[in-house]
Amino acid sequence: MKNIDDIDAITRRLARVEPGRPGGRPSDAGARTLLASITAEEPGPSVARPRRHRPRRLVLGLAGAGLLAAGIVMVPSLLQNGVSPSYAVTKNSDGVVYVKVRDFRDAAGLSKQLKELDVPAIVDYAPPGMWCREPRGTYVQDIPAGLYSVPENIPGEESAGGWQMRIDTKLFEPGQTFVWTIGEEGTSTILMNDPVAPCVLVPDDSHQPKVYESDYQLATTKGRSLAGLRVDEKTVGEVLPELRQRGLKITYVILEIPPGNPGGYIELGTQTTPVGDDWIVWEAEESIRKPGEIRLLVTDKRYDKNPIYGGPRDNVIQE
Amino acid sequence: MDNAQARFEVVYRETYGQITAYAARRCASPQDAADVVAETFAITWRRIGELPDGEEATLWLYGVARKVLANHHRGEFRRQARSVQLDAEMADLYGASPDSGVELKAIAQIFQTLSDDDRELLSLVAWEGLDRQEVATVLGLSRNAVRIRLHRARRRFARALAEADVRFTSESRLVPAERQL
Repeated sequence: MKNIDDIDAITRRLARVEPGRPGGRPSDAGARTLLASITAEEPGPSVARPRRHRPRRLVLGLAGAGLLAAGIVMVPSLLQNGVSPSYAVTKNSDGVVYVKVRDFRDAAGLSKQLKELDVPAIVDYAPPGMWCREPRGTYVQDIPAGLYSVPENIPGEESAGGWQMRIDTKLFEPGQTFVWTIGEEGTSTILMNDPVAPCVLVPDDSHQPKVYESDYQLATTKGRSLAGLRVDEKTVGEVLPELRQRGLKITYVILEIPPGNPGGYIELGTQTTPVGDDWIVWEAEESIRKPGEIRLLVTDKRYDKNPIYGGPRDNVIQE
Repeated sequence: MDNAQARFEVVYRETYGQITAYAARRCASPQDAADVVAETFAITWRRIGELPDGEEATLWLYGVARKVLANHHRGEFRRQARSVQLDAEMADLYGASPDSGVELKAIAQIFQTLSDDDRELLSLVAWEGLDRQEVATVLGLSRNAVRIRLHRARRRFARALAEADVRFTSESRLVPAERQL
């Protein structure tokens, strides 16, 4: 076996930027622009911002069964690099409305414009730490397919952080209202039956995002515990024997898939009780802290594409 | 200019070279490295109240960069407009690879088969030149845990090299060590 000095010497040779040397210079143009752009923002109150998720891995901010059935969509607000105007609502002749939100504070402006386009909607802004007192009305349980889409990037503005939603106004039943509550950190959209009570702001932290430091990471990629093993799109029954043989502790994360499977999922819950052998595995994650612990991301049925990656895993992870 | 900004600018100037090197050594592309650098400093600005003084600041930034990098590898990252501005400068670091023989490529491949934790331990020592206590601070571990894990990581790397029967000439083009542990 080679000695320690050898190993360190070999490792040093692998460094792209030679050890001891700086990478870039703070006087370079790009470095100065970056500094200016960072300090142009307010320094934060010493809390990490929530992580931003790509829509295809939109881990929505709420947990619990039936949220989608009740028409609740919680999206992380991604307010930064503001692009004007702060919101935009456009209506096609077929009654389809696109709502684009870029500034999450202009609730009144958005509300007014929705009204002009005959979208029955109430929009409220909730400052940090506050939320509208609930319940404000009963939830519509039977939501027609295609009434609205989950939020997605605004085409051409992917880096800006706003989102757009498609609403088909023809599909509203009389007596239904879209209730939007826009917070600094997330927006909820709930379809309610009239009448809907006005928003009374009360202290409420439950809609603040939890700083999401996952204890789990992808297990099937290079250098990880299941490197080389493919579990995506297989059944639980196909995957289990190999994992058991390796003596791994397995938990199941049950996913709920938004209508139309646009990419993204909600984690409904985690259990160690085995699920059916015919359930579908979409990916495996490993515990960062506890080696030998594997989480399988599963659904009770097969979907047309992998919701974790919004399509085949190979399109996203290339090794 | 207020205190927070003055302080951040000093730290930025002092650590920019180290953080860009850290990112470039670990990211496959200049774009990824630019993302990691921009996000690391943006987080530092947002958490300026937590930033320790003096030498500790660099270690704290390495810790942030490490987490940013982990998130980046998980694909949970949106490209920010501001990191694009760094692409060209980062690309300069990728251009001249001084030592890219077949032998070194084989070693690099074996290095990639090690776990993330092993690689990071070996890299912090060999690339950033940190001592055990500094590695412990960056990783949030005890000094003793670092000692044990580093020993195991080196052993695993040595074993993997031996198994692959990579012949290497350790005297050739070696970069002098900053510090010996």
